[in-house]
Amino acid sequence: MKKLASGISLVCFLTLSACTTTTVDEYRENSTSLLLDSSERVVVLGRRHYADYETEPDFIDCIGEKLNADREVSVLPEREFVDLLYPWFEPRTAPLGLKRLAKMLDEPMIAQRFKEQGLRYMIWVDGSTETTDRDGSVSCAIGPGGGGCFGFATWEKTGTYEAIIWDLQTLKESGRVKVEARGSSYMVAIILPIPIVAQVQDQACDGIGLQLRTFFMDSRVSEES
Amino acid sequence: MSSIKVMTKFVISPRRLLALSFALASLLLSACATKVEVDGNFPPALTRQLPLRTIVVFEPDFASHHFESTEGPEVSIAVGQIQVELFTGLADSLFQHSSTATSMPTSTSMPTQPEADLILRPSVEDVQISMPNESQLKVFEVWIKYNLQVYNSAGEPVADWIMTAYGKTPTRFLKSSTDALHQAAMVAMRDAGAHFITGFARVPEIRQWLHARQTRVSSTNTSKMTEP
Repeated sequence: MKKLASGISLVCFLTLSACTTTTVDEYRENSTSLLLDSSERVVVLGRRHYADYETEPDFIDCIGEKLNADREVSVLPEREFVDLLYPWFEPRTAPLGLKRLAKMLDEPMIAQRFKEQGLRYMIWVDGSTETTDRDGSVSCAIGPGGGGCFGFATWEKTGTYEAIIWDLQTLKESGRVKVEARGSSYMVAIILPIPIVAQVQDQACDGIGLQLRTFFMDSRVSEES
Repeated sequence: MSSIKVMTKFVISPRRLLALSFALASLLLSACATKVEVDGNFPPALTRQLPLRTIVVFEPDFASHHFESTEGPEVSIAVGQIQVELFTGLADSLFQHSSTATSMPTSTSMPTQPEADLILRPSVEDVQISMPNESQLKVFEVWIKYNLQVYNSAGEPVADWIMTAYGKTPTRFLKSSTDALHQAAMVAMRDAGAHFITGFARVPEIRQWLHARQTRVSSTNTSKMTEP
């Protein structure tokens, strides 16, 4: 009984330890909220032109879901947007700055496609989640009499992302949100491996998604009042 | 007792032992080999159409191209069919009229009333792949080097355009290398499409040819207008 209690308390301790610390920084061009008409939409895109990493597509989808959580901010899915604008938003051709985007929008066909989709804001997300540290080891063995694992491993993940909002009407930057999420995960193996995983990417998505929402929601609140 | 009997029977049968060894060996070898048949769809390209009639020639080598790497783990990528679909779609988007052929039109089929202003013959020069265990990066990469040979209606060469395409996909937990390479190859194909659409009219020889053609068409129109 004593052993069971100590086992449970160890698991609880580890579960509590597998938390994530998230830091969110925000920069706004001005104090007023971003205007978004009910017919207008936002698109969230990930940067994919770096050689050693790319912003995860599921992270971009997650931010889209956070923004569109109560159907107040209409979001055009990334895949759909990139296909509609093919080949102008591929890693090779996507604009890295507003000047390049402005030049792109000089092409009537591209501008028309933006208009048809009711796009008002483009949010570029750059960053990724990486394993920054790992320690310990877990060994598993299998034999005729059965198998099992033994050991203890820990690893730390850091997710660093920056979102930049471009206003497609004024062709100016409207704001930035930077998030850093850090969390340690554990794997305890006594016959059966028990992973206690910190949801770093999910926490980063929560942080950046909810913060981005405030850029638009404030305007909705003031509109309603 | 019965299990011991079965075991004994199994061990003493050399034919079964051999069969089992072969089965195990092939299972282990297939576990190491990565075979990718690239398939998928490409969206139509958003571009201004050039007022040209073209024939895109997909020779059998190109239409059934597959790459095999024997260095390190065995990897095979079949890109032939998807390339044909990609270039057919790209030509439909970029040119006003486009058709395909499986061999270069001969002098008897082309001549006085040419069916095409330009003939495009794509070929694969090289394919390279990089796996995370080779590059020490957490990405699967695919490079494809195309040579797009462009001929005029008389079958004379206009340009030899070396076009590179690159695609990568990050490693993911529980994602197989087959899926990762498939995705990287699709990104490379889309990249080839982006290069083709944005770069075709910028290739110096093609640009020069387009300019000369434009001048020719304008002067023909002017002379027609000035004729009594």
